[in-house]
Amino acid sequence: MTSVAHSTTVPGPRRGARRSFSRFLRAETWAAYAFILPWAIGFIALTAGPMAASLYFSLTNYGVEQIAGFAATEYVGAANYRQVLEDEKIRTSLYNTLFYTVLSVPAKMAVALGLAMILARLLRFAGFFRTVFYLPDITPPVAIGIMLLLLFNGSVGIVNTVLGWFGIPGPFWTTDPNWIKPSLVIMSVWTIGGTMVIYLAALKSVPRHLYEAAAMDGAKPWRQFKDVTLPMISPALFFTFIILTIAGLQTFTEVYTAYFGTGSAGAESPDAALMNVVYLFRQAFEFFNMGYASAMAWLLFVIIMIVTAIQFVVSRRFVFYQGEKR
Amino acid sequence: MSAGAQPNFAPGASGAATPTIPQAVTRRYRGGPRRILGGLKSAPFLVLLALISILSVYPFIWLISASFKPQSDVFDNRIIPEVWAWNYDDVFAIAPVATWFFNSVWISGLGALLVVLSSSFVAFSFAYFRFPGRGALFALILATMMLPTAVTMIPVYLIWNELGLVNTQYPLWVPNLFGSAFYIFLLRQFFLGIPRDYFEAARMDGDNYWTMFWRIAMPLAKPALIVVFVFEIQAKWFDLMTPLIYLRDSALFTLPLGLKTILDQFGQGGGGQGEWQIIIAGTVLTVLPMLILFAIFQRAFVHGIATQGRKG
Amino acid sequence: MAGRWKGRVLLVAAAALLGLTAASAAGAAPAATTSASQSGTLNIYGFGPGDDVANGRAEYAAAQLGRGVTINNPRGGFNDQAFLAMLASRNVPDVVYMNRNAIGSYAARGALVPLASCLRAERIDLSQYRAGALNEVRYRGQVYALPEFTNQITLIVNNTVAQQAGVNVNDIQTTNWAKLRQANRKMLRIENGQVTRIGFDPKIPEFFPLWVKWFGADIVSKDGRTPRLNSPQAIAALEFTHSLIRDHGGWDRFKAFRDTWDFFGRQNQVARNQVGAWPMESWYYNVLADNSPGVDITAKYFTNRRGGPITFFQGNGWVIPRGSKNPGLACKWMKAMTSQEAWLKVAKDRFDLRKRQGREFTGLYTANGRADVKIYQDIFQPMGRRNFDEAVQKLVQVSRYGFAVPVSPAGAEIRQAYLDAINRVLAGQQTPRAALNQAQREAVAAVRRNSR
Repeated sequence: MTSVAHSTTVPGPRRGARRSFSRFLRAETWAAYAFILPWAIGFIALTAGPMAASLYFSLTNYGVEQIAGFAATEYVGAANYRQVLEDEKIRTSLYNTLFYTVLSVPAKMAVALGLAMILARLLRFAGFFRTVFYLPDITPPVAIGIMLLLLFNGSVGIVNTVLGWFGIPGPFWTTDPNWIKPSLVIMSVWTIGGTMVIYLAALKSVPRHLYEAAAMDGAKPWRQFKDVTLPMISPALFFTFIILTIAGLQTFTEVYTAYFGTGSAGAESPDAALMNVVYLFRQAFEFFNMGYASAMAWLLFVIIMIVTAIQFVVSRRFVFYQGEKR
Repeated sequence: MSAGAQPNFAPGASGAATPTIPQAVTRRYRGGPRRILGGLKSAPFLVLLALISILSVYPFIWLISASFKPQSDVFDNRIIPEVWAWNYDDVFAIAPVATWFFNSVWISGLGALLVVLSSSFVAFSFAYFRFPGRGALFALILATMMLPTAVTMIPVYLIWNELGLVNTQYPLWVPNLFGSAFYIFLLRQFFLGIPRDYFEAARMDGDNYWTMFWRIAMPLAKPALIVVFVFEIQAKWFDLMTPLIYLRDSALFTLPLGLKTILDQFGQGGGGQGEWQIIIAGTVLTVLPMLILFAIFQRAFVHGIATQGRKG
Repeated sequence: MAGRWKGRVLLVAAAALLGLTAASAAGAAPAATTSASQSGTLNIYGFGPGDDVANGRAEYAAAQLGRGVTINNPRGGFNDQAFLAMLASRNVPDVVYMNRNAIGSYAARGALVPLASCLRAERIDLSQYRAGALNEVRYRGQVYALPEFTNQITLIVNNTVAQQAGVNVNDIQTTNWAKLRQANRKMLRIENGQVTRIGFDPKIPEFFPLWVKWFGADIVSKDGRTPRLNSPQAIAALEFTHSLIRDHGGWDRFKAFRDTWDFFGRQNQVARNQVGAWPMESWYYNVLADNSPGVDITAKYFTNRRGGPITFFQGNGWVIPRGSKNPGLACKWMKAMTSQEAWLKVAKDRFDLRKRQGREFTGLYTANGRADVKIYQDIFQPMGRRNFDEAVQKLVQVSRYGFAVPVSPAGAEIRQAYLDAINRVLAGQQTPRAALNQAQREAVAAVRRNSR
């Protein structure tokens, strides 16, 4: 495997030397910065300012009056943050969010990988199935919500009916607080088309000859999977791991549409489904406590940063890039 | 799904393009260990496949069938409508749906193209170059993904407002000129997978960085680029919040935004009659293009894929 | 802040006056001009693609303003985020159409203009509007919107179910709770542990304020500053309504069954006798009339403990945001949109349309009381289905008894507090008393946060 990273055309030491000199190769550094320029411009113009502004707002009483200029924006110091720490609902929402993420991310990755592997081996109708499996990702929440209510209906839904065949009494998925989050996890697993496609692209990129070589060495299928597939697609796995986690911690649309929308749907707003960003959104746009919401956002930001940093550190051991020396 | 389990060494139905790189690998290995997983004709997997397919497709089928029902039958959960109604005319009659459609196509397409180019440009840097601040900058890029958009929405709006570009479509696609953290990350991963030898060889041949990027990295990352393109088109297509706050003229609306306004007016309540069949027909119109788009592009993921890193 | 606004009105009035004296010799009263001398641009927000009732009135209002006025209606719906963005950019529309339950929040935060001067200038008679609807948009004594639609609530009783269950329809009422509970128990059906018919659906958490009003009590004090979520009346109301649901075997089963209803369709829960009775907004009669006109129903008032009808309203309203560049035109527009003439015009058109289509016309409930009555008297014609004809009669009457939950700056949070409390009770996590105590704590904290 590592033979791939070796090159027969470039002498080894040169690369090593380059590594230590690279910092000082001005041309390379400047070129690097030049390539990053598009993002940098955008960041300065459209991102840095607003991020700083939101940080500032989190220290003020920013609300509708302040937004519209009817009243002055007053500095309140850490008051919002203090309140955030005291707010019971925040604790609930953080717990819900973490619970949901911890369950859904591995589940999504596993299922997506499984599907991608099946798809990668399909001999016929591959295109058709790829499209079919991708469908849930582009099905609008309206239809998904309705299907959910039907399938997961505690009394007459198919899920419970099928469970009943096996003698398992299905819970009331949509009303029982203990089962709402699992039902959300299941719903999230259902929409893995995007992840699956990424894995598919990665799987297809694994050099065939590696499998051949491994097979010739007598490796069993599982070993091939473990020693060829996994490492070769580890960049993609790593990527989706990070992205899914960040997205999971910020989950909003599906939950909001299903349980919190405006109108009578919003009347049944179970605490069990309150995700952090849902609560944040509420605070910002229904209760108009924008300063408070900003504080919440920065709290979430810090949490996500910590989690992501941990993921990076932990993953360092497992991610293999063809283009780099390990 | 019926073909045999043996590895197919000839270019097959799924269309592997003939690779342009050394012969040693022209035979199309069916990609994997031969065992139950490879043997798709084994019953459990067929069943699994069928089950997942049904689950994936069902809400969509429901949606389509509901769009052909009259108002009173929309929620009767029958797959085949008892009474057929043609609601699509009504949708077009109520609102400038064609305009909205073209707006969506323009914004999504343009935005996706721009973001593919800009993100890969930036991603290349992080994958290939070694430079001071690389780690920190990359962390910064990731960090921009961690702040919920709800809180930066107003400040960003104010920036566009200062530029006098509110109620135009610019705020919807111009940000794509600057790349997107998500795609930069994704493409970086793919670029990292390209063996450095290729680049070293090019350098030795005197190529400059741009050529390395454009002539080597990009073609090799084609599957990833297509993925990014399709993802972004869909993201832009279904995005509701951005058009919502920036567009006031109905003529500028994107399709989902237009749909939402129809929903607000025709849903139940203040004067509305709960004309769900129109709303659902509109929804189908919104989703169908994306479906077709994906159906077209999913082949491209496969075409010419086996061109990466196959030195024997 | 009020001073600033007064100044602005004076400015507008002065400009109008100047304009008028310059334009015509006849000195008209300030701003109460005829359409001939109107000019300017009116930017509307929140009034999107609409049905015949909306569009017809818009045409009428445009005609009232006259050809000199350019009306910019981008025809998008109202959205909080977009509106906030507009406020932030100091570029607000001239007149906005939004849901009345949002109006209170914005009004309490000073984002809207009190209509007092508008009412005076256009000589708008507030008494034509339903008091309940106006109270929804009244804050600190000032009215902030002209209302449209009431969506008032009546009990829809399924006579067939009552008969089958051996319940006298007279006993299906809300005055005597003991009798109601009995009727509930008799009408509901549970088979194999599943609910197969709901007896009486109290519609909580949505209609909680209605149940509290049964006692004559409100969940917030009149000035909007003191929540009363854990008053003895509130607790009693929650306990009673919860008991009705518990009779069905619990919220889980109750809701699971309710979710299976084909609410908008031909096989709706009334047609299929899946429910005995429940309080519902007026528009549902339309659904029934269109889809299952043969149902045997009785419309009844939701009555308080003394037997008097009560209801609250839901609907939209026209407001003038602060910073509106053309409040004069906005005022004229609102007046025209909610006028008797406009409503009568569209009601007639709709009636004619429905007659041609062979569909029932179940009335139009406009929040303009005089329009409601006139529509009923002059336009509505009994269509031969006694049930629906009587329903219409009740609907017209009950709007007189509309009440509104007092407006509070923390209104949205107070509402959320009691919604959450009730949901916790339904889920079996807390007793009504404990849940409402917690809600009260949260509401009080919210009010404190919002007092300025």
